[in-house]
Amino acid sequence: MARALLFAACVLLLPIPAWAADTINVYTAWPESLSQPIFKAYTAKTGVPINFIRLSTGELVARATAEKNNPRADVIWGAPGDGFAAAKAAGIIEPYKAAGWGKIAHELKDPEGYYTAVSKNTLLFMSNAKLLKEKGLKPPTSWNDLLDPAYKGQIQTADARTSGTALTRILSIYYAFGKDEEKAFDYQKKLHANVQVYTKSGGGCTIPAAMGQAMVCIAHMPDAMEAKKKGYDMLTTFPREGVAAVIEGVALVKGAKNREAATKFIDWTFTKDMQDLLDRNEVYMLPTLPEGSVNAAVQALMKEAKLLPVDLEWVGKNRKRLVDRWINEVIKE
Amino acid sequence: MSATGARLRLVSVSKRFVRAEQGVAAVDDVSLTVEPGELLTLLGPSGCGKTTTLRMVAGFEQPDSGRVLIDEQDVTGLMVYRRNIGFVFQNYALFPHLTVFENVAYGLRVKRLGAAVIREKVERVLALVGLPGHARRFSNQLSGGEQQRVAVARAVVVEPRLLLFDEPLSNLDAKLRVQMREELSRLQRQLAITTVYVTHDQEEAMAISDRIAVMQAGRVAQVGTAHDLYRAPRSVFVAQFIGRVNLLPARVLRADTGAAAVTLWGREVTVPADEPVAAGQSVSLVLRPESVALLPERAVAPAPEFAIAGVVRGRTFLGEKVEYAVEVGGTLLQAVSYDPLRHGLFDVGAPVQIACAPASLRLLRGQG
Amino acid sequence: MSPAPAPVSSPRAALRDPVLAPVVVLLWAAVALFVLYPVTRLLALTFWDDGPTLAAVVELVGSWQHRRALWNSLALAGLVGAAGTALGFAFALLAVRANLPRWVGTVLDTIVLLPLISPPFTAAIALIFALGPRGLISYHVFGIAGLNIYGLGGTLLSETLTYFPIAYLTLKGVLANIDPTLEDGGFSLGARRWRVFRTITVPLAVPGIANSFLLLTAASLADFATPLILGGTKFPVLPTQAFLQITGLYDMRGGAALSFLLLVPALAVFVAQRWWTERRSVITVTGKAGAATRVRSLSPGAVAALVLVCALTVLLVLTFYLLIVFASMVRALGADNSFSSAHYAHVFSGGLKAIRDTLVIAAVCMPVGGLFAVVLGYVVARTRFPGRRALEFAAMINYALPGTIVGIAYLVAFNDPPLALTGTAFILVICYVFRYSLAGTRATTALLAQVDPSIEEASASLGARRDVTFRRIVLPLIRPALLAGMTVLFIRAMTAISATIFLVSLSWSLVTVRILEGITNLELGQASAFSVMVILLVYAAVILSSLIMRRLNAGSLGQAGTLLGG
Repeated sequence: MARALLFAACVLLLPIPAWAADTINVYTAWPESLSQPIFKAYTAKTGVPINFIRLSTGELVARATAEKNNPRADVIWGAPGDGFAAAKAAGIIEPYKAAGWGKIAHELKDPEGYYTAVSKNTLLFMSNAKLLKEKGLKPPTSWNDLLDPAYKGQIQTADARTSGTALTRILSIYYAFGKDEEKAFDYQKKLHANVQVYTKSGGGCTIPAAMGQAMVCIAHMPDAMEAKKKGYDMLTTFPREGVAAVIEGVALVKGAKNREAATKFIDWTFTKDMQDLLDRNEVYMLPTLPEGSVNAAVQALMKEAKLLPVDLEWVGKNRKRLVDRWINEVIKE
Repeated sequence: MSATGARLRLVSVSKRFVRAEQGVAAVDDVSLTVEPGELLTLLGPSGCGKTTTLRMVAGFEQPDSGRVLIDEQDVTGLMVYRRNIGFVFQNYALFPHLTVFENVAYGLRVKRLGAAVIREKVERVLALVGLPGHARRFSNQLSGGEQQRVAVARAVVVEPRLLLFDEPLSNLDAKLRVQMREELSRLQRQLAITTVYVTHDQEEAMAISDRIAVMQAGRVAQVGTAHDLYRAPRSVFVAQFIGRVNLLPARVLRADTGAAAVTLWGREVTVPADEPVAAGQSVSLVLRPESVALLPERAVAPAPEFAIAGVVRGRTFLGEKVEYAVEVGGTLLQAVSYDPLRHGLFDVGAPVQIACAPASLRLLRGQG
Repeated sequence: MSPAPAPVSSPRAALRDPVLAPVVVLLWAAVALFVLYPVTRLLALTFWDDGPTLAAVVELVGSWQHRRALWNSLALAGLVGAAGTALGFAFALLAVRANLPRWVGTVLDTIVLLPLISPPFTAAIALIFALGPRGLISYHVFGIAGLNIYGLGGTLLSETLTYFPIAYLTLKGVLANIDPTLEDGGFSLGARRWRVFRTITVPLAVPGIANSFLLLTAASLADFATPLILGGTKFPVLPTQAFLQITGLYDMRGGAALSFLLLVPALAVFVAQRWWTERRSVITVTGKAGAATRVRSLSPGAVAALVLVCALTVLLVLTFYLLIVFASMVRALGADNSFSSAHYAHVFSGGLKAIRDTLVIAAVCMPVGGLFAVVLGYVVARTRFPGRRALEFAAMINYALPGTIVGIAYLVAFNDPPLALTGTAFILVICYVFRYSLAGTRATTALLAQVDPSIEEASASLGARRDVTFRRIVLPLIRPALLAGMTVLFIRAMTAISATIFLVSLSWSLVTVRILEGITNLELGQASAFSVMVILLVYAAVILSSLIMRRLNAGSLGQAGTLLGG
């Protein structure tokens, strides 16, 4: 009897080959609520099941790097550009240019084709309407507005050590200040005085701001819009100096076990069908394919937004240095 | 219940190890033979190595050198569970989670005997030890004596070729101890299993043993029947360990075969001697208290008794006997007189004569 | 009754035993493979780069942030140790010495168990809801605005509330074992209450106090979850830094190096704690605490003060958990407080896989780990063979190491063939077994200390080989230890995160990771719902285990609780 149980236990735990029945294994950094419907749509269309796991960008890269010699995933689908820069440096992705790759703007893809943007993203200021009213403030419309002493201890935003959103912020400030790095970091040191806490995840400040624990949350657009959708009373504004346009990308994993199926999936990503889902599913990001439809709410929102283009290659080379500077100069006390 | 006892031989068995509180304990070159069906007791004070020797026979300890042979089979390296022995522990070591029945049946179950056979054997042995009907109880529901019997039953039911007892009665009160030792003795004789018995109680040893091996500091001091050991101890230690004894210093005048003339308190007397001695040698004379007779001062001791004057310094009346401490020639002698109501008592301080037969003065080499 | 004497047979003899030798070899093989090998691989990753190198460590120590993290970790651990022990002591005094009605004790035990069996992050999240800048308690009840819960203050509070139950359970046992007649002796000699307390009660409790302090310090040093949420930039600590180095900065080597920085204090505390418990003073092992003597070393004033402190704590703890339950049942706490079953609906549909996977893994862990723990405990306590102490120590390493280190090490070591175990349930089970079976091993050695070795000798003398003796005699007698070990494993398997966050995969997911995801994605309602499920499941397991323990006549819940901390 005991022997039978033991045997059953062993069988249960054996690694089931992940390539059974032509499945695609995906690592994604997108929240399940956003990624799952898209994957389901693909499965509905082609009958190929998608097995995915959601990890934060850093965990994802770390995992894939550790699995280098025996990769479990076939595709990294939906993660910020700086993650892919790191993945490329670690040698865990291989170039694949989907059909339609040519239509994607050059600032939205790696020139060698290692990774391509599936959507375009940016950040904004999300403010708690009630708190602003209490303090008699208007919602911030400039980076410099946030330096106002009235905001002391009232700003929450992402921690650069853990979140890609923070990099978007750093880049936004850098580009907004005309690529003057010294001015940009000077500004960030001043901003630091008003920051209550740096959150682990990019969207980590949306709920606290919504609940009145802080007045302003600097976050990525989708996170802010999600919070608004939940019914929290929030105001969204853009700084007039501009915000960086960052990408969410897709890449093929080097040595993928289901390479065939994976490439087909990536191909589908760059079709109008898929890109339209960004609008239909209320993902609140911009499509990268020119013919992709843009969600009405996003369109309305971004009317006042000034999107600053970002040099992916430069970012890839300087990311670590920028983050290190932030750690050693901005948050050091 | 038939049992064939095996012959046990220990050949130059030695062991040294460090025991927590007692420093280095050792068994030092012990050689013994136990004949089939015999009950041999290892007797000695605590720390003398008797329990260690027993445990080496069982296999719980490994000797550093020497061999253990059961029926001429060298079992020195054999694991405990293959030696076919029965061991009764000082604290009984009954399995607390099993009933009396299951405790006794344990060894039989290990051998995978059939249920009916087991039941029959267990019931038989329980009756043998006087515990019929106790089968369903647990050990914590039994008295000390009952637990002891269960332990014995358990050891015996597997028909071992060797039965080993490690001070099995020391946790019982005095009266029970006497009763139990009689039962154990009877049982052992009935089953005729070769038995090695360890105890520090010399009375117990003398009561039940066929032979006794007295141990001291890891060595066997003397082996023999109780009678031999009492009558002719070969060392001062043995003399003092078995029974009570007076040790009298004397000097050899002349040595003959089997006897020697010695001076004792300035007087010459011829005493038996087992070992050769030389003239002029200092020796001890062993004199048992009961061999010392007290006579009134002026009485004449019948020849060839050795008599000498003394003074009573102490008296303890114990009903069936009276113990005296008599000062003779500067030494205090112990004397015991039986049936004192018939023979009368001497007062403390009274001058007396002590008398003994020269044959009661056994010669021992060495001082006391 | 004096403790059973240690076995005296020579070490070499044990190896001749045809059953013992293979078992020892198997144990060593398992430990070498699943404890020593991964750590070695990690060491290689950190300190080897075509030759030995300290570059990674030097780089770390040069960074102000990491130096700060080291200091913070030590300071926080010390403070949590002190605060948690003090609070636990207060609770223990109340439970044991204040002569309150029995139901108070039961209530205390029940409530105090909650932090021990909750999934991680619970206290941190609840704290933010309750005492944050616009916290439900701090602002809405007390009107204090702008309270900054992030940083040392919040982390300290959260960890203290999470870990004080360990101190409580340890000290309760210690206080209950102090013979009340000793205090009565003090009273009879004319000493007043405070003096008796100060000069008799406290000194006798010192071993327990020291033990608690060390246990809590170790727990805080390794705590990865709470500071992740509450630490903020101003208060980095080492385990979180190690995790972030890898997942935020894509720096595996740096993360590994940070882990080793943490290793030094963690191991030091661990060794200190082991050494301390091994030289236990005799005093703690008297019995008869239920004697009729009324214990009077607490004045009514002192009792009232204790009741106040404990009541406040209990209230705070309860509020936290109520907040979590509430959050799981409303649409969006703070914004839309209408009741909604959406979160639970998600838990039982999309989240069902995680729950099922976690339960399966926990269920498999229990017998495997339980048996391993018991066999190891038996072999270490009852036999002597060369390298016994080394085996015991090696088996503890994964427990002593902070979870992040173990997770990273396993990730590095078991990805490539022939040991490609990542992605399977096997690696999760192994990770739990080698990390959390120490409790079972300790319970086994503790129980065995009360079993006279002559009982096993008796079994051997009756012809039973060692495995037969183990199965028929030893195992039945140490059933409570087996049960305790299995219970702890189940609880840990349901609530662990720091190691296993690196080991979840496409095929196997865990509830705790889903909770973290929920928090990260601000699906707090969902995270709360998952948390509630875990708490209910674990609670049910603990109650079941406690009932079985009672039937085995083997002491109460408290034992399992102490083991959770130990």
